[in-house]
Amino acid sequence: MSQLRKSLWRGALAAAAVAGFVTSAAAQMELKIMAPAAPGGGWDQTARSMQQALTQSGIAKSVQVTNVPGAGGSIGIAQLVNNSKGDGNQLMVMGYVMVGALLTNKSPITLEQTTPIARLTAEYEAIVVPADSPIKDAKQLAAALKADPAKVTWAGGSAGGVDHIAAALFAKAAGADATKINYIPFSGGGEALAAILGGKVTAGISGYGEFESQIKAGKLRLIGLTTPADKATADKPSIKAQGVDLEIANWRAVVAPPGLSADQTKALTDAMDKMAKSKEWQEILKTKGWEDSYVSGDAFAKILADEQARTKEVLTSVGLVKS
Amino acid sequence: MEAFFSLASGLSVAIQPMNLLFALIGVLLGTAVGVLPGIGPALTVALLLPITFKLDPAGSIIMFAGIYYGGMYGGSTTAILINTPGESASMATALEGNLMAKAGRGGPALATAAIGSFVAGTIATLGLTFLAPYLVDIAVSFGPEDYFALMCVAFVTVSATFGDSPVRGLTSLFIGLMLGLVGIDILSGQSRLSFGVPELYDNIEVTTLAVGLFAVGEALYVASRRHIVEEKLEPVRGSLWMTKEDWKRSWKPWLRGTLYGFPIGALPAGGAEIPTFLSYSTEKRLTKYPDQFGKGAIEGVAGPEAANNASAAGTLVPLLTLGLPTSATAAMMLAGFQQYGLNPGPLLFAERPDLVWGLIASLFIANAMLLVLNLPLVGLWVRLLAIPQPWLYAGILVFATIGTIAANPSPVELIMLAVFGVLGFLMRRFDFPIAPVVVGLILGPVAESQLRRALSISLGDPMVLLQSPISATLLAIALIALILPFVMKGLGRFKAVED
Amino acid sequence: MTTNPQRRIDVAGLAIALLLLVLAGVVWWDMTKLQILSPYDLGPKVMPIIVSIGLAVLGLGNAISAFRGDLPERDSLDWKPIILILGGLAILIALISLGWGFMIGTAILFATTSAAFGRRAFVVDLLIGAGLAVFIYLLLGKLLTLSLPAGPLENLF
Repeated sequence: MSQLRKSLWRGALAAAAVAGFVTSAAAQMELKIMAPAAPGGGWDQTARSMQQALTQSGIAKSVQVTNVPGAGGSIGIAQLVNNSKGDGNQLMVMGYVMVGALLTNKSPITLEQTTPIARLTAEYEAIVVPADSPIKDAKQLAAALKADPAKVTWAGGSAGGVDHIAAALFAKAAGADATKINYIPFSGGGEALAAILGGKVTAGISGYGEFESQIKAGKLRLIGLTTPADKATADKPSIKAQGVDLEIANWRAVVAPPGLSADQTKALTDAMDKMAKSKEWQEILKTKGWEDSYVSGDAFAKILADEQARTKEVLTSVGLVKS
Repeated sequence: MEAFFSLASGLSVAIQPMNLLFALIGVLLGTAVGVLPGIGPALTVALLLPITFKLDPAGSIIMFAGIYYGGMYGGSTTAILINTPGESASMATALEGNLMAKAGRGGPALATAAIGSFVAGTIATLGLTFLAPYLVDIAVSFGPEDYFALMCVAFVTVSATFGDSPVRGLTSLFIGLMLGLVGIDILSGQSRLSFGVPELYDNIEVTTLAVGLFAVGEALYVASRRHIVEEKLEPVRGSLWMTKEDWKRSWKPWLRGTLYGFPIGALPAGGAEIPTFLSYSTEKRLTKYPDQFGKGAIEGVAGPEAANNASAAGTLVPLLTLGLPTSATAAMMLAGFQQYGLNPGPLLFAERPDLVWGLIASLFIANAMLLVLNLPLVGLWVRLLAIPQPWLYAGILVFATIGTIAANPSPVELIMLAVFGVLGFLMRRFDFPIAPVVVGLILGPVAESQLRRALSISLGDPMVLLQSPISATLLAIALIALILPFVMKGLGRFKAVED
Repeated sequence: MTTNPQRRIDVAGLAIALLLLVLAGVVWWDMTKLQILSPYDLGPKVMPIIVSIGLAVLGLGNAISAFRGDLPERDSLDWKPIILILGGLAILIALISLGWGFMIGTAILFATTSAAFGRRAFVVDLLIGAGLAVFIYLLLGKLLTLSLPAGPLENLF
């Protein structure tokens, strides 16, 4: 099957006969995608969007989505590693948040035990302040942090999550003591946003999408995004371009169970490669407002390893993980 | 009034036949999932998102609104009939509602719940229409210290559910507070009382606890006493409908329930449970028939049910005006908006008034639909109680377990359900009140995290609790509510004057 | 555990008091294991301390009630139905853990509960329970695409 694919998939799908043949060969694939979270969240939406794209484009014959909620994905990954060993049709959605959750939960299962397949999307973090705040840009926020990190209160998501890590990295880049940051975790996105709008905290940090409409309505001031400096635009300034060395993205990816043969891994990677290029997937990315950050194979494996190392270092430095 | 014209134009969107159909599908689906414990409107909307993707935005958002209102409604039906609250906000309804059903007054209980939901839903939706912009400013100004003070008020009122022994009531409450500790502490990210079991990290699900204590516990208790007391259920004793007396006793609780539900529901961290309990204890205190509380008092159904539905409308205030999702369902509705590239908030009112006002208008319609659909069904629903007892309880247990695994397909969740069932059985046997356990689980973690947030912001200065006017006022109310009963007892004759 | 009309020491009441003291101890022990303390707020230990002390005090309160015989009277207990219901639950949990899906277990739970309430038609009830399970599976699993625990039976649909 993979031999066939190697020779055929590189070409365009122009020839109807070829396309038909290949589709029927690939359509043997009956995928199972696990979302290690309850229905409704980001991982679940990613899994169900993949289901939509994979079946509508004919890349897979059927896709079944299962939910295994709990403990930031710790329960899902345990099930993937323990119960699906060698299953070449199983995928699991995961994301940057899981890297931190596995560390803070002291999970016995690690991401090294899975087979990395591909990174799909990314969302950059945004730092905002209330509209009437005296802080205007990243430099002033950095200065305030350096003066007294305790007095700069941050509102964001759960402890040890991407928001917390980004806040710690900002403090570090600003030359302040990252262990002293006054980061206040809120349970839902709405609660944190309310605290920022109400001026209860100095700054808020979360995915850009959470703040977008408030920024446009002028109720929040955008300090900057955690994008690379060259990605900055006039209405989406980069924090890095303002001289605070912080770059982080909340990405989502898929991994497969351990113990896959090289052929199995390749079949899954190929299917993802095709999905990422399909117009159905591109359409979904557009309507959901997800940024395409597709990387597969060894390049993704390297990113995963790097992110784990960096996250462990940050979480240890803020005291959430005891080394 | 500008809002009037906008509402009228919204109504023209909502009464288009297709949109009416969507609203109908929504309320039917919502009612259906609302009755199952564990599966609520949030889950349903989440699962429907990919399916509705291709529909017209107005239609699918109207359907989501129908699901929301329908879900809030459906939870109360099972709470009253089989003591299985479909969601945590229906728990207060179960307290008196199920007792009424057992006494053959299930019909009036369901009716007062239906009409109360309609009244509250309509008033609250009117509030949403005309007061939203003002209310939301107050809602956002609520800080962590104010929430903590609100929790203090709620804690004081819990004693209404204590029964006759303060020691046993407090024991129940503290067991609930202990269960509230289980899981990851949101502020420090560490797990407490989890003993390394990852399934416990996500805190104890309120519905699992409530269903275990109420439904499973009661099945065990009734079964164990069958050889002594044969429980005979008569579905209807007296009138199936509300009598004139019932109306007289219901209308004030409806209005008071709305008054609790709508503003607290509009608070970003207010929720639906607190207003229902505030309403329950208020009605218990104000009733002219205090002896009926604990035996099935209609006020105890009318008030909480109104509060429950009003809070659902309240939740839409921050969602529509600011794009703030303050409940799981609201978060899913936000996702529903966003899949069409729409962002609720001040801009949406200007950009797509047809959509926003169409949604608000369809809330009125959904509300009316629920009333029309459910009132004639009351007679059918109470017939459920005529099912032979073995099948009725077997059905309740199947219901409880399926609801639990549908929300989280894990054996650990079922083990918890069974453990809570045994706990509920033992508590019934030794006469410990059950409601305070669930109240402790709900209030404990919120009170703790909000206090810690407040102190984190003030860098450890407790004076922040008194410096905020809202917090200071609420704390004063809590203090008065705490000592007032003792004062009243001392000045017994003043009570006569009040009556 | 029989009825105890006189004001004598209530053994069950003492057991409850002891249990509360044990719980207080567990909460306290668990609290001492917490390592990460937040720098600015009260930290994660305060609430467990309050709960632990509260449980201990209430344990004593319950013990006093037990010594005074304040507990309400209790009827004799029939253990058979309790074992039937909990047994049905245990079978359901075991079958789901073993990957046999939820339908078989649900049918058994229905039948054992029904038996606990005095019915003597186990096979009929088993079939009713199975029918109920199939109906629910089609509704939730197929229509709403919820992932319910699946086993050999579920895969037939």
